[in-house]
Amino acid sequence: MQIELKELSMTYPDGKQVLRHLNLSLKSPSLIGLLGPNGAGKSTLMKLMVAALMPTDGLILVNGQPLAKAERMLKSNLGYLPQNFGLFDELTVAQFLDYMAALKGLRSPKMTIQEAIKAVNLVEKTKSKIRTLSGGQRQRVGIAQALLGNPDFLIFDEPTVGLDPEERIHFRNLFSRTAQDRLVLLSTHIIEDVQSICDQIIVVNHGRVLFTGTPEELIQTAVGHVGAFWEKDLIIEKGLHITSRVNTRHGVRCRAVADKLPSYVKAEEPSLEDAYIYLISREAVQ
Amino acid sequence: MRKIFGYECKRLICSKFFIGIILVILFYGWQVLNRVTILGVSHTAPFSPWSYGDYLSRMIPLLWIGALFLLTFFTSKAEQRRKAITSATPVKPSVYGLVRFCAAMTGTALLALVVILLAIVFYGQMFNWYAWSSLLLPTFFTFVPTLVFALGSGWFMGHFKAWLLFLWMLLPLPEFLGLLNGSVFAERPLTLNVLDPAFSLSIGTVIAQCVLLLTGIALMAVSAAKSKKY
Repeated sequence: MQIELKELSMTYPDGKQVLRHLNLSLKSPSLIGLLGPNGAGKSTLMKLMVAALMPTDGLILVNGQPLAKAERMLKSNLGYLPQNFGLFDELTVAQFLDYMAALKGLRSPKMTIQEAIKAVNLVEKTKSKIRTLSGGQRQRVGIAQALLGNPDFLIFDEPTVGLDPEERIHFRNLFSRTAQDRLVLLSTHIIEDVQSICDQIIVVNHGRVLFTGTPEELIQTAVGHVGAFWEKDLIIEKGLHITSRVNTRHGVRCRAVADKLPSYVKAEEPSLEDAYIYLISREAVQ
Repeated sequence: MRKIFGYECKRLICSKFFIGIILVILFYGWQVLNRVTILGVSHTAPFSPWSYGDYLSRMIPLLWIGALFLLTFFTSKAEQRRKAITSATPVKPSVYGLVRFCAAMTGTALLALVVILLAIVFYGQMFNWYAWSSLLLPTFFTFVPTLVFALGSGWFMGHFKAWLLFLWMLLPLPEFLGLLNGSVFAERPLTLNVLDPAFSLSIGTVIAQCVLLLTGIALMAVSAAKSKKY
């Protein structure tokens, strides 16, 4: 599966331009993390990829074919978890997945439904009505429907929202296993999730792609721009973005990113989160 | 798609609303049968097609609300959130919409069946009368055009704004249609100058009902073709 975006732009009817001349190429097998602040255009980008929206300009190619022609083929091989979604509360978990399997055109879906339920740790809730589930369990049902039929292309928009740390680790591993032979696009705010499983990262902000590459490459861009210092009576300089602030017995220990580190800041090894903050803050300055 | 149809029927029929409106139909229908229909209309027997048609026309407002409310299951805000998932599947939106419309139609038909069965039980219990075949024509004439129009127009409006359906429920159109039908049943026997006349319809009434039916079908077809995607 290969998805190419060429000069993709999206402006909503109210005039708000969300994406501007995006160029991307996604190819399986890969687990790609899509990062960006709120309102950066991540969800819109995902909606465009699943043909839930039509771009105002540009082209989406699926295996070399325009999306308009390949829409049915794409959707037959697609698993999609949107950020905001509704479930059929009147149905049980198994019935809902059976319903979704029918919409996906899966024949003899029993096996794939059982696999999906098992993958998201909901075996005990198989016969429970969806309205009785907690927020985290509903999120897991959403993930399960995306996994039905082992699609070649999976898009998860904030999949670990509402999950406890143990569940988050479980799903990180699940996504990683899934991406061994498939294309998985994962949008999240949780940098830790991206760092631990993604082999590629795309950072978007204000509708533009700021970075594409591996997590290591993103970290490299922040070398020399991350440091730590003790916050005493210092006036924090403009352009210094504090990424952490820890109260200790010796004072307040701060970690910060900046284009040019002040003399009192001691350079440190950047983390992926530092690099991401640095990238976004640099773009804001520009 | 049979599976989807089955699940949608289950969602509609096992809902609190559906059970509630059946209870209202049973209560109100029994009142109408015992207070109005039992007297017979225009000097005809209570079980004449005229009296039966008058009963059906009095039940139309309830069925109208029921039919439109069933459609709200597919146009609500919660439904829009579900669409985020269902629209990412390969099924054609028009086919999916049609299947769900058929489920709403089935639900409405079941409500209409409750109205009819109530009358049948009433006639059997009160008059030991079981010649149901004579009731087929007034049933078709009264229910089919009105309910097809209710569903067609409701589905059409639901495509634009969900709240339009609630507005459509509140308009006095069903009362008007009920009165129109009711007056046909109550007044026509008197114009025929025969005691307990056989059931018949004037050309004008047939044309009016046909227009209603065809408008309903046309709105259904337009709504089915219109797959609101972008």
